[in-house]
Amino acid sequence: MIQTLFNGVVTGLLVALPALALALTFSVLRFANFAIGAMLTAGAYIVYAFNAGLGWQLLPSAIAGTVLGGLLAVAIDALVYRRLRDRTGVTLLVASMGVAFVLENAVRFIAGNAPVGYEVDPARPLRVAGLRINHEQLLIAAISLAALLAIWILLRWTPLGRAMRAVADNPSLAAARGIAGNRVIAITWFISGALATAAGTLIGLDATLDPQMGWNYVIQVFAAAILGGIAHPIAAVFGALALGIIAELSTLILPPHYRPLVAFAVLTGLLLVRPWGIFGTARIAK
Amino acid sequence: MTQALQLEGISAGYHGKPIIHDVSLNIPAGGAVTVIGPNGSGKSTLLKAVVGLLPLSSGSLALGTRQIGAFDAPTRTRLGLGYVPQEHNVFPNLSVLDNLKLGWEGVHGSRPRGLSQREQLDAVLALFPEIASRLRTPAGLLSGGQRQMAAMAAALMQRPSVLVLDEPSAGLSPRNASLLFERIADVRRTGVTLLMIEQNVRLGLTVADHGVVLVNGQVRDQRSARSLLEDDDLPRLFFGHERSESLDAAADATTHATTPA
Repeated sequence: MIQTLFNGVVTGLLVALPALALALTFSVLRFANFAIGAMLTAGAYIVYAFNAGLGWQLLPSAIAGTVLGGLLAVAIDALVYRRLRDRTGVTLLVASMGVAFVLENAVRFIAGNAPVGYEVDPARPLRVAGLRINHEQLLIAAISLAALLAIWILLRWTPLGRAMRAVADNPSLAAARGIAGNRVIAITWFISGALATAAGTLIGLDATLDPQMGWNYVIQVFAAAILGGIAHPIAAVFGALALGIIAELSTLILPPHYRPLVAFAVLTGLLLVRPWGIFGTARIAK
Repeated sequence: MTQALQLEGISAGYHGKPIIHDVSLNIPAGGAVTVIGPNGSGKSTLLKAVVGLLPLSSGSLALGTRQIGAFDAPTRTRLGLGYVPQEHNVFPNLSVLDNLKLGWEGVHGSRPRGLSQREQLDAVLALFPEIASRLRTPAGLLSGGQRQMAAMAAALMQRPSVLVLDEPSAGLSPRNASLLFERIADVRRTGVTLLMIEQNVRLGLTVADHGVVLVNGQVRDQRSARSLLEDDDLPRLFFGHERSESLDAAADATTHATTPA
């Protein structure tokens, strides 16, 4: 039971990173970035390029890859989304699907279809008070929590976070207040790309890398973000945790492959009762 | 600090269709001008062109001695223009305090320079004591009058040299509107240059030195606010000398050239 709960928390934290990235771009730009899965894949492969291609250790590879993943997201924004800034959220959503296909197939073209893995030494799991804990799980928990804390501090307490929330609320008033919208949006994309890369790396560490890896997470990431309240980035984290724990706990009474079904039953029920998410509040539109 | 604002033959519009034509006006440093005119005459469009939310199609714009017509809105703001739109003039999901801080940070950055953010906040809250007790409230939950004050306070946090106000009394009860205009008169006394448009002609002209009548996107008359206030024949000014023709034109302007106010 405790082991199941622990696994659920770790799974939740893993999904929390891209869910946070998704909610962040959603709250500032008002569109659902469907390419979040492909960004995760591309990020994981960028890290792989440093790790296996250049023979760097995993840590410097991950740091370099995270920066590059962030820059990739900024470049995609400049190339695609900035030109569509005045269009509706649906147009941008469809554009992001296109971006997803391009990214995924670029990965496939360069790295091939076969699953690959990072070059790390395998380690024996730890046993703490009866719990079986992988090193990967510890890493996932530590990195996710650190990233979430950093984003929370950024949004809540810094002028940049305030500027991001201002652009999310009313871009033209933000411009009249002297805030350079495109700069704030570029920073938002950078953070989003960096978070997706970190998540991709952690997933690749836990299992293997393949060009489809992001796809497997897209639905969960959306579910988590919506569950928490997609317009409130930090709430997405709690959504991810709740989803992870509920899905793992369900395995105590249902066969494990029903996990996604349970998660979606919860999500569907919630959308009927509280469409703005568990922790979200309805936004003030006027 | 205060600066003069000079508009020289400005034209602007939407989608290549000009709404305002060849508007010139000159506000000396510390002066106050109120633009009045019928609905759809292009008043809001004029202000948007001044603050940089709408590009000029021709003409020039000077703030003090500097030409600012080619700059975007954030740059003009940093050079000293403060703008309070008629609607959507606060960040509704941010607290009133965050709204005020944003006014300071957008222009002065987060590092204190000279006068600190704290001192400016105290000075602004002294002008608008009504919002001082509501700093933690999301700005979207304020009443109409308080929201206008929060919006104006946020613009004043920028320490603008020119303050541009779009219909400050819109949607306010008569009592709240006159309260707000008392505040605007207080703001004027701080020395800031004021450019304002106002539906309520009497209120708008009482705080101004000069009045400008804008009809159909063009300046129809421009003289001292007192003389306009005492003019019994403002309707004639609004709708022109040749009554029938201009009424048609005014109707035309309302149907075709109406812009989001």
